[in-house]
Amino acid sequence: MASFRLQIITPDRIFYDDEAERLIVRTTDGEMGVLARHENFAGALPSGPIKIMKDGQYRVAALSGGVLKVSAEKTTIIADAVEWADEIDIEWANRSAEEAREKMKQKESDKEMRYAELKLKRALNRINVHSGNYK
Amino acid sequence: MASANMKDIKRRIKSVKSTMQITKAMELVASSKFRKAKEKAESAKLFFDALYDTMWEITAENSTFDSLYFSGREVKTVMFVVIAGDRGLAGGYNANVLKLAQRKINELKGSCDVVIIPIGKKAVEYFTKRGYRVVARYENIAENIRMNSAREIADKIMAAFRNGNTDRVEVIYTDYVSPLSQEAKSRSVIPLEKPSAEIKKNVQTTYEPSPEQLFDIIMPQYIAGVIYGSVSDSFASEQAARRTAMENASDNAEEMIGDLSLLYNRARQATITQEITEIVSGASSQE
Repeated sequence: MASFRLQIITPDRIFYDDEAERLIVRTTDGEMGVLARHENFAGALPSGPIKIMKDGQYRVAALSGGVLKVSAEKTTIIADAVEWADEIDIEWANRSAEEAREKMKQKESDKEMRYAELKLKRALNRINVHSGNYK
Repeated sequence: MASANMKDIKRRIKSVKSTMQITKAMELVASSKFRKAKEKAESAKLFFDALYDTMWEITAENSTFDSLYFSGREVKTVMFVVIAGDRGLAGGYNANVLKLAQRKINELKGSCDVVIIPIGKKAVEYFTKRGYRVVARYENIAENIRMNSAREIADKIMAAFRNGNTDRVEVIYTDYVSPLSQEAKSRSVIPLEKPSAEIKKNVQTTYEPSPEQLFDIIMPQYIAGVIYGSVSDSFASEQAARRTAMENASDNAEEMIGDLSLLYNRARQATITQEITEIVSGASSQE
């Protein structure tokens, strides 16, 4: 199967820099797959799971907010954070979800609500990916 | 007299020795923190570069593209985000970056207002003491900065820009060049230079959502990236500066202990010589 160069960059590391055969992400408009020779594309990625196929094997990771850019040379994802399913600190994610829920109950301000909502989304995404819901 | 002198020197040696223990310990702590900080600063740079490239590609690929964040409006208020350390004893690290900030502020005196967001205890102290308008302050975030806290700062900056409370934003930070060289620098954040017509590329790209919307999504991330990168760079610089300063202090202490030991031995010898002379002359007077 034809492969393409995929780079996933986060502030604290280069998460992925290798060939890949398939990439499945969730954009703002829905799920989308990238194969070799995909048309040029740029889009926003909300927090969600990503799947990468390499050597015929899928690996799942949790992505927290980013941008996808597909061009002829390479495909790039720039994200705030990405973790493989088995890297996720599930206790921390649970705690984070709990905190976000607490915060949302307090209903302080619109801004606080928005932060809490995004935090909850990130946490739930991690929990879902960790529990293997996207295998 | 000589024995009093000896006691004195001994006390000084002891005091220098205990100072040296502290500077040695600080040197070790700084160099272990430095290693981590350097890695972080390097990956932050890669991240930032990628973000920057993507943002420019969007503007370059869309000929009709325009944004609120491009230059064009009259500058009435300038915001400086000044990043210094939370602690002192780092050589010229804090002084250099604050000096640059002060110079930039002085250049604008009379022509426009200045507001400050200080990051790091030393910067907060400096600007609050001098009565500058501080719109937000952040302490103790440099060492473990995460994208979330950078995002929060970026949101503040962008809100101020959108509301017209500021028309230009600059970050003043310390660029990490090498373990021995760090340089205070300023980086313009907003407004962005409007891309010129020549660099427009003719590439067909599908955007989801529209280029303008995507740009607005990337923009906070870009500014958070600038903050994150500048803070990580500054923190690596701080640790490198502290390590060098403490290394020098330890070396000086060692040298001082050497000199003092020599002095001490001389004083000791002088006492012995004097005692012998006294005994000999005492004995000879008995004869």
